[in-house]
Amino acid sequence: MATLEAASSRREWRRRERRGTVGLLSGPLLWLLLFFVTPVAFIAAYSVGAVSLFPTDSSVISLDDWGRFLGGGSIYMGLFWKSIRMSLTVSVVVVLLAYPIGYFLALCTKKRKYVLLLLIIAPFLTSYLLRVLAWKVMLGEHGVVNSLLFSLHIRSPDDPITWLLYSQFTVMLVLAYVWVPFVALPIFVSLDNLDRSLLEAASDLGSSRWRAFVRITLPLSLPGVLAAFLFVFIPTIGEFVTPLLVGGTSGYMYGNAIQDLFTRGLDWQTGSVLALFLLLVVAGLMALFGRFVQVRSVAA
Amino acid sequence: MEIATSVGALRSLRMVFGLLVLFLYVPIVLLAIFSFNAGDVSFPLEGFTTEWYSRVFANPALLSALKRSAVVALVSSLLAVALGVLASFALIRRRFAGKAVASALFFSPLVVPYVVFGISLLVLFTFVDRLLAETTGFYIGLGLHSIVIGHVVVSLPYTILTIMPLLERLSVSLEEASHDLGASTWETFRRVTLPLLFPALISSFLIAFTLSFDEFAIASFLAGAQPTWPVFLFAQLRVPSQLPVLVAVSSMILVASLIFVLGAEIVRRSMERRYGREFAARGMV
Amino acid sequence: MTDIDRILAERYDRRGFMRMAGATTLGAAVLAACKKAETTGAATTGTSGEPVVHPPIEEEPGNLQVFDWSGYGDGTYYPAKEREYLWQQYVDVTGDTPTFILYENDDAAYTKVVAGARYDIAHPYTYKYRDWVDLGVIQPWDTSLISNFSALNPKLVESGVIDGQQYFLPVDWGFIAPIVNVDHVDVQEESFGILFDDRYEGKISWVDTSNMMYIAGIYLAVPDPFDMTDDELAKVRDFLISKKHLVRNLWNQSYEFWKDFRDEEVWIGYSWPDTAGYADAAGMNYLYMEPKEGRVSWVGGLGLFKDSQNYYHAHEYANSWASTKAAEFLMTWYYYGHTNTEVDLSVIPPGVVSALGLDDPTVLDPPRAIPEAYIPRRTLYQQYWSEVLAS
Repeated sequence: MATLEAASSRREWRRRERRGTVGLLSGPLLWLLLFFVTPVAFIAAYSVGAVSLFPTDSSVISLDDWGRFLGGGSIYMGLFWKSIRMSLTVSVVVVLLAYPIGYFLALCTKKRKYVLLLLIIAPFLTSYLLRVLAWKVMLGEHGVVNSLLFSLHIRSPDDPITWLLYSQFTVMLVLAYVWVPFVALPIFVSLDNLDRSLLEAASDLGSSRWRAFVRITLPLSLPGVLAAFLFVFIPTIGEFVTPLLVGGTSGYMYGNAIQDLFTRGLDWQTGSVLALFLLLVVAGLMALFGRFVQVRSVAA
Repeated sequence: MEIATSVGALRSLRMVFGLLVLFLYVPIVLLAIFSFNAGDVSFPLEGFTTEWYSRVFANPALLSALKRSAVVALVSSLLAVALGVLASFALIRRRFAGKAVASALFFSPLVVPYVVFGISLLVLFTFVDRLLAETTGFYIGLGLHSIVIGHVVVSLPYTILTIMPLLERLSVSLEEASHDLGASTWETFRRVTLPLLFPALISSFLIAFTLSFDEFAIASFLAGAQPTWPVFLFAQLRVPSQLPVLVAVSSMILVASLIFVLGAEIVRRSMERRYGREFAARGMV
Repeated sequence: MTDIDRILAERYDRRGFMRMAGATTLGAAVLAACKKAETTGAATTGTSGEPVVHPPIEEEPGNLQVFDWSGYGDGTYYPAKEREYLWQQYVDVTGDTPTFILYENDDAAYTKVVAGARYDIAHPYTYKYRDWVDLGVIQPWDTSLISNFSALNPKLVESGVIDGQQYFLPVDWGFIAPIVNVDHVDVQEESFGILFDDRYEGKISWVDTSNMMYIAGIYLAVPDPFDMTDDELAKVRDFLISKKHLVRNLWNQSYEFWKDFRDEEVWIGYSWPDTAGYADAAGMNYLYMEPKEGRVSWVGGLGLFKDSQNYYHAHEYANSWASTKAAEFLMTWYYYGHTNTEVDLSVIPPGVVSALGLDDPTVLDPPRAIPEAYIPRRTLYQQYWSEVLAS
């Protein structure tokens, strides 16, 4: 008798559960629909002239702005490729630097693993803007690096290294600085989940450690590496804060153009075209490589 | 550990790690030094002083900006965690059609560049304000509420990602047992699931809070007349007369957050251990 | 906000207005609201000169929102002095403390207002007055409420009159000219061309606004730099792109540029007179040029937002800004001019007075200077400038 009652109440509960699913989903879904999907739809509409807010906007629906952007010779298209190049460089360097870190944390430390992890994450508790400012101080013509070179007589005070600050190099350096810890995490997680017994088996079978790394560890960690790569590549294409602070004229990136067009240029239509294009590129990248990225592996 | 690396490799890895930590901390140490420097935030150094720290509390604009950021971060994190719990439950515990689409939607803010998201919110809010102004004469305007909305969206994937693994690990049989004993769904949630989820709730709250407190890109587009801390900081960065004070504040925030994060981690670990031990003993987790 | 629907209905044709409303039903609601706005006139302040009723100062909410450049009151540059000189008088009279919302340049400020931001006081410059008035967000001052008004230079005050109304109260004026570190730079000829000089690659700083378009136009001797043709604009753009590699960085705030100039990261820059003031205080060897083309001169004026709830407060604030104390501050610390003719010039070094003509506002006009004029095709200037930035 008790089991029958328990079973029927469970069924009752499951029925209520199904109705509850709608209740559960509605909150977050509604929020995202209203404040994520709708704004993006607005940008899309703005870019073709279906929406216009200012007297200077054209109120005709047309693909003219898109044509001008995608058609040959648009200066913004060149800027886009420049940003892609810079992001690619940063992402590759960051992943190359972060891999040994993740490897070290996952496979070489036992007791102090989480302390060391915390050590890596702690810098994020300082303001990002001020960390960039600190770099500005270090890289200037009379900053730390150059002063050091002067005092060591490697360079004379009349001839400092000028390209350290306000250049593409600066932007890439600072971006790498910010992203390496972030990227070490998914690599760490995927290596941490590595089955040690595989390595033990390889060693038992007489393989050298290097071979075991190349043929077991590396391939198994590749999804984590790809996830990490995308994790840094995608946001940096649209980066505008770092170039604004340390980029000078040559470090100007695609994200800066979008920001300028919206905050100063009063050309929200071209800005929307640029923004939507970036979004489409990102969506395309995720569609292509998303299956390699198990979002769960990113969670630390 | 010997199976993964040779002694030589271990040494070089340790060196690489050490160099990286050095690389990470040099700017921060530099900032700490400047917070005690009697001159401007630039070389050469001019002498020791604690003046900047005392000046922090005499600067009302700075304190308001900090307060606003704290409020925005608090509200948006609470919302993000709440919505994250709901979404996690739906994704883990329920079956429904279109789960893949919903999942993709929940995680897509992770990949949208903040510049695009920030301006699209700007466009949306401007349009809505324009509409409201014409039809009703009311005008909401941009402000802290706009920033909260934006931050909830970008924090949501992180909270879901943090809560989902723990929720998965928790056995459904616990909830079912609770129901069998006569508890309602809400009671079960409140007295069984929620306490067990607590470690993940703390972690996700911290992640969302840190994200929101230091977030500049979106806030720069949506801040109205009242800047949040990063927006305020950015505006002051170019005017070095205030800089040492800002550096001093930042050092204080760093120390405070370290204490906070460490404290939260200790609480989280102890809760995990406590519940984990109890339920593991009963073979339920 | 009550006027926005009326202004917008006038500005757009029906089609465009409908599209902006988003749907035909919404459009009908908007039209109904339009009719309502036309019939209720009591709350509007008018360009048509209707009698207006403002609640007395005690009933105003206070917390004056001032939309201005940094260095003009919020204490960013001179924490104690800005308050003491520019608006302490306002505090003494009203007991209110203003809130400052700052912007980096005219374009960013204008964009924000076009997008819907509203405050109490604005501070645009002559060349943008027309745009602000056309936007319909500014109401004229009642100069009888400003006790310092009679002390202001009449000719400069005239520049704030648009369509016969005193929309703007001119207060500050100054120049745009290259500043040069003579310890490192060999000046052969005082000209804007120094900003494009190939000998000083990496040591030059430009301003980060489309103003560089007309500066280059002045240097390239186009007939009217403030109203260039498409061909001229393209020529200027290509010229700037070709010279961009000489530039170390673009500045948005004057103090940002000053820091680079002081640290000798740059030796040459587009600058305002305040940089010269800082350089003097730091004992640098500099030259604030008087280019052969003439310096560019600007005059700025305070404007009152139409929907401001702080009508009398705003006038008190403007009065504080128009005082001799404010003039002293601008002249001593920024080397800017001020429209108040009764200021005591002995507080400023005489060399500065003569170099910048602080006692003689005729220096703002040809042949000494080129006044910054209204740029009718500014959107186009900005578009070409965006392309310079993006290249």
